Amino acid sequence: MGLRPILSALMRNGAGAILVSMQIALTLAIVVNAVFVTEQRLTKIGRDSGMDDTNIFAVPVTSFEKDHDFFGMVRADLAMLRDMPGVVDAAPTTQIPLSGGGSSTQFYSLPDKKGEKSPVAYYNTDEHGVQTLGVKLADGKNFAAAEIEYRPKDAQGLPGTALVTRAFAEVLFPKDKEHLVGKTFYDDQSKPTVISGVIEQMHGAWVGWDKLDRVMLAPLVGPGPGVRYLIRAKPGQIDSVMSAVEIALRKRDPNRVVGKLRTMLNFKQSSYASDSLMAVTLSVVTGLVLIFSALGIFGLATFNVNTRTRQIGTRRAVGARKLDIVSYFMAENWMVTSLGVLVGCILALLVGFWLSNQFGLPRLDLYFLVGGVIGLWVLGQLAAWQPALRAAKVSPATATRNV
Amino acid sequence: MFAYYLRLALQSFRRNPGLTALMVMAIALGISVCMVTLTSYRAAARIPLPHKNDMLFVPNVDSWDPDNSYDKDKPGNAPDLQTYRDARGLFASTIPDRKLIMFKAGGVLSGGNNMVPEYVSSRMTTGDFFAMFETPFLYGNGWDAKADAGPEPVVVLSKETNQKAFGGANSVGKTVLWHDREFRVVGVLNDWEPAPKFFDVSNGSFDDPEQIYVPFSWGQIMELGSDGNTNCWKTEDIKSYLDFLNSECIWFESWVELRTPAKVEAYRKFLDDYVVEQKSKGRFPRPLNNHLYTIEGWMERNQVVGTDNKAMLIMAFAFLAVCLVNTVGLLLAKFLNAAPVAGVRRALGASRRDIFLQHLTESGVIAVAGGLAGALLGIAGVWALRAWYGRFVQDLERSLPTDYSTFWIAVGISLAAGIIAGLYPAWRIGRAAPASYLKAQ
Repeated sequence: MGLRPILSALMRNGAGAILVSMQIALTLAIVVNAVFVTEQRLTKIGRDSGMDDTNIFAVPVTSFEKDHDFFGMVRADLAMLRDMPGVVDAAPTTQIPLSGGGSSTQFYSLPDKKGEKSPVAYYNTDEHGVQTLGVKLADGKNFAAAEIEYRPKDAQGLPGTALVTRAFAEVLFPKDKEHLVGKTFYDDQSKPTVISGVIEQMHGAWVGWDKLDRVMLAPLVGPGPGVRYLIRAKPGQIDSVMSAVEIALRKRDPNRVVGKLRTMLNFKQSSYASDSLMAVTLSVVTGLVLIFSALGIFGLATFNVNTRTRQIGTRRAVGARKLDIVSYFMAENWMVTSLGVLVGCILALLVGFWLSNQFGLPRLDLYFLVGGVIGLWVLGQLAAWQPALRAAKVSPATATRNV
Repeated sequence: MFAYYLRLALQSFRRNPGLTALMVMAIALGISVCMVTLTSYRAAARIPLPHKNDMLFVPNVDSWDPDNSYDKDKPGNAPDLQTYRDARGLFASTIPDRKLIMFKAGGVLSGGNNMVPEYVSSRMTTGDFFAMFETPFLYGNGWDAKADAGPEPVVVLSKETNQKAFGGANSVGKTVLWHDREFRVVGVLNDWEPAPKFFDVSNGSFDDPEQIYVPFSWGQIMELGSDGNTNCWKTEDIKSYLDFLNSECIWFESWVELRTPAKVEAYRKFLDDYVVEQKSKGRFPRPLNNHLYTIEGWMERNQVVGTDNKAMLIMAFAFLAVCLVNTVGLLLAKFLNAAPVAGVRRALGASRRDIFLQHLTESGVIAVAGGLAGALLGIAGVWALRAWYGRFVQDLERSLPTDYSTFWIAVGISLAAGIIAGLYPAWRIGRAAPASYLKAQ
């Protein structure tokens, strides 16, 4: 069977076919780019933070009376929290990782701002920080209790030791990745800090930052008057532990402000909200656009079959088998889909190019385009399948009835 | 005649209920997705105080690092915040009709009648703040330049804070404790939720407004740091709060009100002169890069409408386009199927124009039905998103508002789109020669 007669039949009712082709072209352009962007956002959201983020929550506490014993308060609070049932560990911190709030500073591998340099997000905590966050120490050792500096007044510079993520340390010391513990790095005043331990993986403050995994823990508490407690609950107990902690903190000392308790997961979802909104919107659009394209193809095929019952009957009467009729309609549909796919490829590339140019999104990965083309071909054939079968059922007698 | 066309349209729908439902659904879903994205886009793209857009300005000077521009991706941009010295330097100008400097701080608020002590976000600002941004007052007023100069221990509370501290009563003249120091309430704001929060976009375009307002100079007396962003570029030995205040670290914002073009020009010149003078003192190592932004320009400079926002809106309208192409195809099939009826009407004397209008009416009815259904679906979508994201995003009431004007925009777009979609099929059916259809009967 040649394609020529199908083509000339199509040309006679061109408008419908062109409309469906257009729809397929637009669909391909939208779907390929939407799926590409969605996949990237989902990968971003799904990254391993390195922390036990589902079991951690935070509570800010602020003392406000003059001459308040801030460190006494912190020590008493933490001692109480660590003894509570369901609590794995608790530690003080300045900010909450993944929350979008934090501090960062620049460090160098040599004094006088020389050598390799890298910014790092840092959190001040005590010797319980590692276990509370649930991060894994790959090398070296945790802070000792005596190492923690309780700083009564704001001052520049950090204590002389730090736990840093592997990602950060490897940027500063690219040639000696096996022996990162014991290395010294310097701030912009050339004050030295020694790496006492290497954290395998941990995310810092700003999820949109490309250096999210460059993080440092410093053995520092204070100055007041505010502090945040990070608390890690045993798996599955976070809700009950949270309400118990809130009551216990208020009861232990009513003369300070206990702020709102929030889970780290909640901070994380908040930080990734725009990414997840984008992923959700694009997934919905992708699903709907595919359904409508299938319906459009189905509608056109049905229309073609309906208007051509006599033609089909005549062909059947002069010897065409059912298979011939089915393949005729499938081939017709394939041609319409292919035209759409062809135009759609160009459109998809243009849209992808424009999106990456205009909005700084990464360039469209061509595998997605190939996948989209194959997908739409299959979708087109599936949508035309039922009308084509119906066409095959037209009885040869129809041809004789209406002449 | 229109009523007759409407009746014909309804008859035609009854003949193919499935096809009709499909078309209405296509338009409805297209419109609903557009409406959801349009709601968040319009919330971000709103210009607050539009009548003051040519009067309020943000002066912007480039005190940054000689080796690196403030924003790698947009090297023409000066830093979005200012150093303390520059904020004071600009505030000294007598050209503006009104002027303010400010930063975001915080502290524990106690006292009041029966308030549970609470950490409140606080805006340290100068007296013109309230007049420049037209804040509504429930009780009392802001403070004057004398209170700024003192500074006098005065405070303006938000309505919510006044509710907590004084049960909502008129608290003007009463005192509260902030950082354990007494402040006298001079004013209480009424509900005021500017969205976007245009006067502090660097700390979050849809953040909650602050809970209390305190004269700027208390910040230095009480040695308060910023509760928002602080950025520094220079290596400086900072040993005290005063060192920090006089460093090149930026955390302050200035606004000016300039009511005449002549004043705008004069102020631009003042900015240039100021920077040149600072250069002679060894500061401002970068080339002259001063800007004077309007509210609208400032929103644009800070990308309040995010790129995701724009990309989603474009995707949504592309989806609507697919839905419309789909509808054109279905309408065409439907009209051609019913072509013999049109043939009979033509033979009985209906003109081509009549046939065209009749079918256009039919597609218009489908568009209106689809538009209304879509707009309702869009509102449901906004609610669903707010219910889902509201659990962890604090500012959703403002960044994704319930917005009835967007509802009518959606219906309008739908009607226009439906009529455009109906044009070709209606023209096509009107053009068909009656004889060919009559013969086939």
